Amino acid sequence: MEAFNIALRGIFIDNMIFAYFLGMCSFLAVSKKVSTALGLGLAVIFVLSITVPVNWLLQEFILKEGALSWLGADFATIDLTFLQFIMFIAVIASMVQLVEMVIEKVSPALYGSLGIFLPLIAVNCAILGSSLFMVQRDYTIVEATSFGFGSGVGFFLAIVALAAIREKLKYSRVPNGLKGLGITMLITGLMGLAFKSFIGIAL
Amino acid sequence: MQQSNTYIIIFSAIMTIVIGGLMSLTSVVLKPMQDKQVELDTKKKILGAVMDISAIKDPDEILAVYNKRVRSVVVDIDGNDIEIDGKGNPVVAEKVNIQKNYKVDPETRSYPVFMFMAENGEDVDSYIFPMFGAGLWDWISGYIALDKDLNTVRGIAFDHRQETPGLGARITEDEVQGRYVGKKLFSETGSFESINMVKGEGNTGLSQHEVDGLSGATMTAKGVNKMLEHYISCYDAFIAKRKPDNKITLNY
Amino acid sequence: MSNEAAVVEKVQEVVKAPAEPLLSKRRKKIVSDPLSEDNPITVQVLGICSALAVTVKMEPTLVMSVAVVFVIVFSNLIISLLRNTIPNRVRIIVQLAVIATLVTLVSEVLKAYYYDMFKVLSVFVGLIITNCIVMGRLEAYAMGNKPYDSILDGLGSGFGYAWIILTVAFFRELLGSGSIFDFKIFEAVGWYSFPNNGLMVDPVGAFMVLGILIWVQRTKTGYVEH
Repeated sequence: MEAFNIALRGIFIDNMIFAYFLGMCSFLAVSKKVSTALGLGLAVIFVLSITVPVNWLLQEFILKEGALSWLGADFATIDLTFLQFIMFIAVIASMVQLVEMVIEKVSPALYGSLGIFLPLIAVNCAILGSSLFMVQRDYTIVEATSFGFGSGVGFFLAIVALAAIREKLKYSRVPNGLKGLGITMLITGLMGLAFKSFIGIAL
Repeated sequence: MQQSNTYIIIFSAIMTIVIGGLMSLTSVVLKPMQDKQVELDTKKKILGAVMDISAIKDPDEILAVYNKRVRSVVVDIDGNDIEIDGKGNPVVAEKVNIQKNYKVDPETRSYPVFMFMAENGEDVDSYIFPMFGAGLWDWISGYIALDKDLNTVRGIAFDHRQETPGLGARITEDEVQGRYVGKKLFSETGSFESINMVKGEGNTGLSQHEVDGLSGATMTAKGVNKMLEHYISCYDAFIAKRKPDNKITLNY
Repeated sequence: MSNEAAVVEKVQEVVKAPAEPLLSKRRKKIVSDPLSEDNPITVQVLGICSALAVTVKMEPTLVMSVAVVFVIVFSNLIISLLRNTIPNRVRIIVQLAVIATLVTLVSEVLKAYYYDMFKVLSVFVGLIITNCIVMGRLEAYAMGNKPYDSILDGLGSGFGYAWIILTVAFFRELLGSGSIFDFKIFEAVGWYSFPNNGLMVDPVGAFMVLGILIWVQRTKTGYVEH
């Protein structure tokens, strides 16, 4: 139940985009067409659902203070937290690579639609951000997995909705200086306001 | 330019050694300083519940005051002292992670108690209990200090991750925390009656067990009430044991 | 923004070396371009992720800016020094490793000497790693240019990023909390009834302020996106 709540909050309340501004770069760059936004969104869900639990294992059994105690009592006091950033980013980069290779082998059709977005995702702040949040909030493995999935779905929703709005925007008269990035920021702000109405939902 | 595999492997190995060495070095050099900062942060929060420490600027002085005035024990749900944890390591009250403990079953948690000693260093002046719970957005936590009668609130200090600024986040304001001072946790007959933050702001005629609320922050207030009630009831056994006036017993 | 450029140029003038065009027109351009015409945030649309979440108050924003400038300048320098030895096939991971190391340094130092700020910035220090500006400059500039030029380029991009987020933070703190660097500015001038705007402390406020800032800045430089 708690895990379900965490996923729900990740989607609507603690939305990666609207509450933490994470993944803005790809959010803004790939939201011009709904079809590409769909692809990126799916890829993000996919990668987040994998990397957050993997990084959880890494944190729990290697990085955090006393995590190495399974190797023997001598290792119980070792604290490798300072390697956290570099380990996480390495896991994310290699996971993305791995996922790319697997998809290419298993389903060339899916690779055709998702493939080009995968390299982009390695440096998406939402991915690293989720792993860092997971550590900070002390989730269990189940909670971490559902958090990763929920954050991904939140990102997916946000980017597809924005792309749909931007497609319609082509037919609007926007002042010159506001075209593109400017108006997109304002729209994102308004969407964030709409998402505010989900405050307090829980199961 | 396409390099050979050997070159790439050697290059990567050198990079790994240099970077790993550099990071370990920083970590080792800065570790004592970081530990001190974390320790200072915890002790500041504990002291903050009983006294105004904002005037003390020097970190060493805060640590000195803490070491002189505060004694600590860790108890279990039945109020018995715990000295070693499940793995046989000694338990230190300041190191008990309240957030982690919150997730486990109340029966098996470790409960730290901090005792603020009187100037003579022998009598307990007030008891400080940590609390932890859920607010509207994320966790809220706090330390509540009780007078030596273990009934009257001496002071309270809240902390939160991300309550709404200007609404729920006001629980960290001195004025709001001051509303708890002098309130009672036990009724005249001695039964536990937690202090509730009521709905709305500007209420009058509040009882000994109520404090004025925050307008627009009903959910945060609910979280605070739940946290207070839950944690004080977990310390029930300890409080019953330590109560100076034995005529007042707890109703279970 | 021209003020900012002037300041940077002044700083550069101090380190003038004889005969060498250390501050040739081309080099001045490297620094000044990212400040306005080629701003990483408002024009290139990079590095917005980690920037906005910390802009509720001026103080954390300033710390964040310093951290980012530090990371950009030094990673640019290191990669530029190594540019002829880095194997092409593993260059991305080498760049990431260098950035991650520098960010870890920043984070560890903050934790040791500035713990309160470390708690406020929390995960966002770590997110400098995925700040697209840093990666972007390494890949686009430092891999192909000399160390000194790369430092200038890093300074330019870093300050271009800094002044935008500082401006956003200025408006958010002023309107949202009625203060600047935690100094209650409206109370100081005797206006006690100043209503704080809750929208500004909310993420939504950041989007609005940045949107308007981009509008103003692009209208000035005449840049139009199609």
